[in-house]
Amino acid sequence: MRFKVYFTGLIWLFFTFNMVSQQNVLSKQESDTLREKVIEKSKNTSTIRSDFVQYKHLDFLSNDIKSSGNLVFKAPDMIKWEYQDPFNYIVIFKDKKLHINDSGTTSKIDLSSSKTFESLNGLIIKSVTGDMFDDDKFEITYFHNEANYIVKFRPLDKALRSFINEFVLHFDMNPLDVIELKMIESSEDYTLISFLNQKFNESISNEVFNN
Amino acid sequence: MRFLIISCFYFLLISCSLKTTKTLVEKEPDKKEVINEYFANPDIDYVYKAKLQIYNNNYGGILIIKKIEPNHYRVVFTTEFGNKIFDLDLDADNLHVKYIVEQLNKKKLIKTLHSDFQLLVRQNNLIEKEFISKTDFIYKSKIINKDSYYFYLKSNNKLNKIISSSKTNEKLTIEFNDIDDKIAKKISMVHHNFNMKIDLTFINN
Repeated sequence: MRFKVYFTGLIWLFFTFNMVSQQNVLSKQESDTLREKVIEKSKNTSTIRSDFVQYKHLDFLSNDIKSSGNLVFKAPDMIKWEYQDPFNYIVIFKDKKLHINDSGTTSKIDLSSSKTFESLNGLIIKSVTGDMFDDDKFEITYFHNEANYIVKFRPLDKALRSFINEFVLHFDMNPLDVIELKMIESSEDYTLISFLNQKFNESISNEVFNN
Repeated sequence: MRFLIISCFYFLLISCSLKTTKTLVEKEPDKKEVINEYFANPDIDYVYKAKLQIYNNNYGGILIIKKIEPNHYRVVFTTEFGNKIFDLDLDADNLHVKYIVEQLNKKKLIKTLHSDFQLLVRQNNLIEKEFISKTDFIYKSKIINKDSYYFYLKSNNKLNKIISSSKTNEKLTIEFNDIDDKIAKKISMVHHNFNMKIDLTFINN
């Protein structure tokens, strides 16, 4: 029995060490290059279509809460998130407003009434293209593992940090698409969104963003 | 004159009596406890799509309820994106607010959320009285010092309604619908003395 506990502990230690060692810090030069490339790619992105899978992790739950759907982005600041499973819910960010369709019930939220909400939603839009590199708003750290670049954005604004303590973006190494967004709360609970089947710079009509 | 006084007294008595049990006859309870099984399994994450109407504001999102241990629950409400709106820890009759957004961080509202969710989730409740009705088994209990009436349909013996009240007025009605085994797939919670309503639809996670 005691052997089993030690053995399980050793396995756990090995995996923990392995996970930590997988994330290596980028040098100043590497991080500067990554940053320039992502900003350049973001500037050249006019539209994105993507599927997504979202996991909400709360430490007391047996399983993460999974939802999925698709999103459409059109530069500079229109985005439509459509949840299709396990519920129907559409949220459109347009003209500093949130347009919501909750299973047929429509509503509108003016984001300018709350700076924190406006800021949070603005960041969610920016996270899709990856261009969140604002040193006045974040403490930014850069890492990589075997397949991805990992950039961590820690908000400097305390009000925003009370919502999200850290944004973590995963970019694939080539062609630097955002493949994962993790929003970590101060409690360590988090929301993880994986982006799949991304298509860039297709023609997308503005009508897509009507509620 | 005597008739008038008696009539007035009788009218006063009737008008002040609680609507819930006004026409019902009381009887000796045939058991000690009522059991609410809808949030009783600690292995289940009870996840609901939620619509909250608080005063004149509407909040949509996900409500998560989890039994941590006997008489200890977590109730978390998040937006669809996963951002927490509130995170409450209900341990027996005590409340620990782990997080609540600034807009909802009001003492009276937190007190209401505490008593509402305590009434919604609490599993075992001592019976004070029982009432005779054609359609339901009705039991009176007390949750955080409030009178609470549990209605079990006679046809299937399932809990279908809880009413919380003062001595004279109904305050909150919780209705459980679309019951599948021990999960209520549709739940509505309506306050009668102010504008607050919660509608929940179970999500298979």
